[in-house]
Amino acid sequence: MDNNNRRDLFPGALEMMVLRLIQREPAHGYALVQRIRERSQDLLQVEEGSLYPALQRLLKAGLVKASWERSATGRRIRVYRLTSAGSRHLVAEVSSFEQMLLGISRVVAPGNA
Amino acid sequence: MNWLPGWTRRFRERRELSAEIQAHLEERTDALAAAGVPRREAEAIARREFGNVTATTEAGWETWRLQTLDSLLDDLRYAARTLLRNPGYAAVVAVTLALGIGANTAIFSVIRGVLLRPLPNRDGDRLLYLRQSVNSSGESDINFSVTEIRDLRAGVPALGGGIAEYSPFVAVLQSDGDATRLNIGLVTGNYFDVMGLVPFLGRVTRPSDDGTGVPPVVVLTYDFWRRRFGADSGIVDRPVTINGQQAIVIGVLQPAPFFPLQMDVFMNMVISPHHVGALMQNNRTHRMTEAVARLAPGATLAQAESQVATVYARLQREFPDAYDAKANFQLSVIPFKRALGERARVTLWLLMGTAALVLIIAVASVANVTLMRSVRREHELVVRASLGAGVARLRRLLLTEHLMISAIGATLGLGLATAGVPLLVSLTGRYSPRAGEIHLDGMVLAFALVLAIVVALVLSVVAFLPSEGALASVSAGGRRASGGLRKRSLQRGLVVLQVAVSVMLLAGAGLLTRTTIRLSDVPTGLESDNVLTLSANLLAANRGANADGGASTTQEYERIRDAISGLPGVRLVGIASVMPLRSTAPDLDLAVEGRPLAPGAPAPTGAVVLANPDYFAAAGLPLLRGRPFVATDQGNAAKVVIVSQLLAHRLFPTEDPIGKRVQLATTMGMFSGDWRTIVGVCGNTQDGGPAGAPTPTLYIPFAQESPYAGGFVIRTLSNVTDAGVAGVATEATRIVRQAAPTVPVEDVMTIGQFTDLTVAPRRVNAALVSSFGLLALIIAAVGIAGVLAFNVNARTNEIGIRMSLGAQPGAVERMILAEGGRLVGVGIGLGAVGAYASAGILRGLLFGVTPHDPVTFGVVLLTMVGVGLAACWLPASRAARIDPAITLRAHS
Repeated sequence: MDNNNRRDLFPGALEMMVLRLIQREPAHGYALVQRIRERSQDLLQVEEGSLYPALQRLLKAGLVKASWERSATGRRIRVYRLTSAGSRHLVAEVSSFEQMLLGISRVVAPGNA
Repeated sequence: MNWLPGWTRRFRERRELSAEIQAHLEERTDALAAAGVPRREAEAIARREFGNVTATTEAGWETWRLQTLDSLLDDLRYAARTLLRNPGYAAVVAVTLALGIGANTAIFSVIRGVLLRPLPNRDGDRLLYLRQSVNSSGESDINFSVTEIRDLRAGVPALGGGIAEYSPFVAVLQSDGDATRLNIGLVTGNYFDVMGLVPFLGRVTRPSDDGTGVPPVVVLTYDFWRRRFGADSGIVDRPVTINGQQAIVIGVLQPAPFFPLQMDVFMNMVISPHHVGALMQNNRTHRMTEAVARLAPGATLAQAESQVATVYARLQREFPDAYDAKANFQLSVIPFKRALGERARVTLWLLMGTAALVLIIAVASVANVTLMRSVRREHELVVRASLGAGVARLRRLLLTEHLMISAIGATLGLGLATAGVPLLVSLTGRYSPRAGEIHLDGMVLAFALVLAIVVALVLSVVAFLPSEGALASVSAGGRRASGGLRKRSLQRGLVVLQVAVSVMLLAGAGLLTRTTIRLSDVPTGLESDNVLTLSANLLAANRGANADGGASTTQEYERIRDAISGLPGVRLVGIASVMPLRSTAPDLDLAVEGRPLAPGAPAPTGAVVLANPDYFAAAGLPLLRGRPFVATDQGNAAKVVIVSQLLAHRLFPTEDPIGKRVQLATTMGMFSGDWRTIVGVCGNTQDGGPAGAPTPTLYIPFAQESPYAGGFVIRTLSNVTDAGVAGVATEATRIVRQAAPTVPVEDVMTIGQFTDLTVAPRRVNAALVSSFGLLALIIAAVGIAGVLAFNVNARTNEIGIRMSLGAQPGAVERMILAEGGRLVGVGIGLGAVGAYASAGILRGLLFGVTPHDPVTFGVVLLTMVGVGLAACWLPASRAARIDPAITLRAHS
């Protein structure tokens, strides 16, 4: 893990990842932390101090909903699911993110220098 | 209120988030422990990895923050702190506003209950009162004849909801050893259906109860049921004795107001032979019933009015004898609710207007205090503005603060209103049958709330207006000069306003007060000091005893009279059917011998009073001409009468009335129709109250007719004290009770007490308006003194310099006095103009004074000048005592 090389996520990135993850499979906070680390292959490490406020923002915006459930191991966990507003928002976010990525890479690409 | 769910969710989410974080930490600890880390260490690691739990929870809490509500709470906290820092200011403002808002809320609660609230009757807006009147004066309602009602029923489809008849009827309710006078409404069977009233218990009368050959039945009004029967739910089907006849109580009516008279009970007509008799039923001019009507479904008031007018015009054409063209017969259709509020309306709106003026003064005064304070606060506001608070935000801060203080004022005011409502209910009870409906309901609370908000807005505008310039010029660094001039002129304007409105209020109060004095000064026509009255209807209690033409009842009155005459301190006892100055004597048509009426011309009428020979001297009614009644004017002797001066003049404008003969043209079955010789003329009496015209009255010897009613007029010796008179009243009541235990003893009071009662409503009016006026005067005086004192304070420096340059204290004092005097003078001038212009509103409430009464206006203006000067003098004399040395040192 190279801490020096880490940079802050741009605004909305964490939310977008959370939405995508729970779209695939409803999850609780702890699981989300684990999954982001696994899927990014340790490139991204989300801090709990950011994740939980982000979840609260998504809840308030009505993009996700939460319910207390029992995990397979019998633990009481608060599981987040995508709402239909959440999936619409995700589609829009992902497409605008891809536009941005495309734009940045066109600008940054060596051929343009 | 849509912030409320968000508000509670915010707290719920905080709990959930805490639980969630806790679960997260446990899961991580368990995972580490499973990997072989010792439990304690695992917990510490989990915590460290997570970071600051509190900060995360707080961040979640912030997410759910409600922007406006939270900043509103901030503002409220700020406002509360500001007010607590200035408890004196807060107290003065809150109390002043409480007086203004309280007065308005209290009066509004009366208007709401008496004039605005929907009637309890079903579809009360479709209920109408019919009024037939002559000579277009409000006093001359003449009721309807049954024939006329029948014509209206047939000819006015718009009143298809029904037209019901009801006539007031007085009788005595007897029960073991007790007797109560009953005000009965004799009603047709459709009355309750038309009125839209349902029984609270049992049933009400219906058309099958009409006519003869049915048993008399009684419907109790709700109030009477509670008052007389203690709300006994087993009352239905119980027999009661009314005027010696048995009747069955069939039900209790829902609570409701009635018009024009309040009733104790309702009965079908059969109890009164007169009401079901041919005269009542078939004579077009025998107008003895009131009428209420209900609009047909879909019909409008305008349709009803036009159809009624058509029918009425036809009746007048067809029956010219029944509608004398000179008398100007009119039939009006009045919404029942308006009829109920008729007598209260003018008074109540007057009081509302008065209260509104008090509120204007209160707000002006508070605005002035606020202005003075805003000078001190200007610095604070400027600092806040320069630190980046937006103008809108500062405006909101001030508004919140004023909302808070006016809310406190409104709460205190509601307390005052609550305390004042019982007084207002008893006052309004004299004007309106709906007084019982007065209380502080949601509408009244909403009224107080709206007042509080309006007051806060006005104060905020006033407080912010002058500061605006200062805030705009904050970068320019200008501190003191800006806004000062506008503020000063605003302050002066407010003082002028207070003085002007005070003058208007005082003028109104003065006119009403003078009215009550004038009313009390009206001679009643009687020498009524030391005269006590007491009525007791012996005949009604033993109806069977009338077989002898009332002779035995007359003798019973005389026996009781003799017993009362024997009491110590009693000088003379008269007997009469109606007590002096009451307007309850029957008004009957009269005929003059040898002078037949022209067809269609109205018959002269007179109030008929039975009186024994001592009545005149006992009541202090002077005999002007002829002879008094004497003991020999008995039933079998020649029939004689004494007429009042007014009646004598009406009957015989040019001739000597003594020796002429008159006859009762209508006797109502109460009197004989014999010709009677006028033997005397006595003085006029003000039976309709001091503001009314004297009543033309015909006196018949008590022994010459069956005593349909009766009572005693007791003149005590002139040296008997008030306590002695009260003792005589107690003893006389005991004597009557002993002689006739089943007879109600009523009207036990002196004539002075009775005349006081008739003036009392106006006196309460005058007292209310006067106390409002006084309140206004005090607030205004404090306002003037406050503004001048503030200006003196602000000019201490200048005054100090003037004095050090040689100005004498007297000159300084005169300077300040002149400054205040100008304001007071302008205020008085404007107020006088305003009062003069608006005094006409009072015309209907005045008696014996014109709305522009110079004496009242003079006194008011002098009072205001005096109070104004006194209010100026205090700060002026303080200015004169300024020590130039001290001021200059302090300001150098």
